[in-house]
Amino acid sequence: MGPLLPNGIIPSEWDSLIAILIGLVFGFVLEASGFSSSRKLAGVFYGYDFAVLKVFFTAALVALIGLFYMDYLGFVDISQLYVHPTYLWGAIIGGTIMGVGFVAGGFCPGTSLCAVAIGKIDAIMYVIGIMIGVFIFSELFVLFKPLYEGSFLGNITLVDSFGVNPYWFIFIFTIFAVILFAISDKIRGKIKKVFY
Amino acid sequence: MVKKKIAKILAFRYKILALIFIILAGGLVLLPKHQKYEGIKPEELLSKVISPERYISTDKLADKLINKDPSYLLIDIRDEESYTKYTLPNAFNVPLAKLLDEDSEMYLDQDSYNVVLFSNDSFYADQAWILCTRLGYKNIHVLKGGINQWFKTIINPQKPIENMPAKEFELYTFRKAASMHFGVAYPEQFKGTTVIKKEPTIKKSTKKVITVKKKKKAPAEGGC
Repeated sequence: MGPLLPNGIIPSEWDSLIAILIGLVFGFVLEASGFSSSRKLAGVFYGYDFAVLKVFFTAALVALIGLFYMDYLGFVDISQLYVHPTYLWGAIIGGTIMGVGFVAGGFCPGTSLCAVAIGKIDAIMYVIGIMIGVFIFSELFVLFKPLYEGSFLGNITLVDSFGVNPYWFIFIFTIFAVILFAISDKIRGKIKKVFY
Repeated sequence: MVKKKIAKILAFRYKILALIFIILAGGLVLLPKHQKYEGIKPEELLSKVISPERYISTDKLADKLINKDPSYLLIDIRDEESYTKYTLPNAFNVPLAKLLDEDSEMYLDQDSYNVVLFSNDSFYADQAWILCTRLGYKNIHVLKGGINQWFKTIINPQKPIENMPAKEFELYTFRKAASMHFGVAYPEQFKGTTVIKKEPTIKKSTKKVITVKKKKKAPAEGGC
């Protein structure tokens, strides 16, 4: 049956509307869970707040397990889902830059826009910084092109590249996540309380 | 009292949630795996292969063609060369090698027409039928005996001998009339005139245009 949009169960004209709706809900949930605070976001790196880690890990796992159950029951065809293409070195270098920006600025691109919406000045500066970055990248695109388009591995997933059984992978991944949550709680208990 | 109990349970809420998580993930591992098929199940295909329901006789097809039944879609699965040489009236050409192409799909994967596949005999048409049926396409039929049988029965019907049952004569009359419809000339039509060799003059097939709605297939895209 699913995915609903590519199979034409929901006509493709609804694409933009659904995107806006999901975007609104996503932004609301980010803000409601306090992710528009750079102190909360940066807490992961200093060890006094692991909400970001837990929330995103849990979201990924819920989606993963849910999708595989739906695939098993025939509601969604996993093979039809969009897999983001992997450009290995581009992803590694881009990820590093983004990580440094995350620690330094205390926002990731999504949450920074969320914080702009509630009028945080640091977030406004952060978004202006993003715009400058985008501008520089676009102007020097010829220079970055080999990195941007190089080491293309296709639309692969971990299951493809390691050739493991997806079900076992999910199970091990879940246990790993739960252990990670427990450890992060331990670390948090040891670190001096930070009020923010 | 009740509040205290709930508070006691709620103290473990993260542990409970973690447990639910692990159980759900473990459930995926333990679930009995079943093979997924594109199209219909093998048992279903087998039962359809055995049943002779897929065949349509040349007589029935001739009747449908003469009465201009619009629900019949003829598909010639021989190669293009044979198709241009001779084919049944209003037939489309989908060579067996191109059967699973995207362009062919719109003729075969639909449920508004009765699709009749034919080749020189029923051999290749049967192969095409199996491929289509396995993919779950509906209303696919095979012309029994193919074009050879068509020639033997409709274009050049055998005159029954005198001691045959009346049914045979009726059938012969029908076939003869059908062959006339499809452009065969008989000498008795031209009594008194010069003898005309009995030879099937083949009507040129006129291509009819059928619009089959193509299924939309937009590539999925996404991003963060």
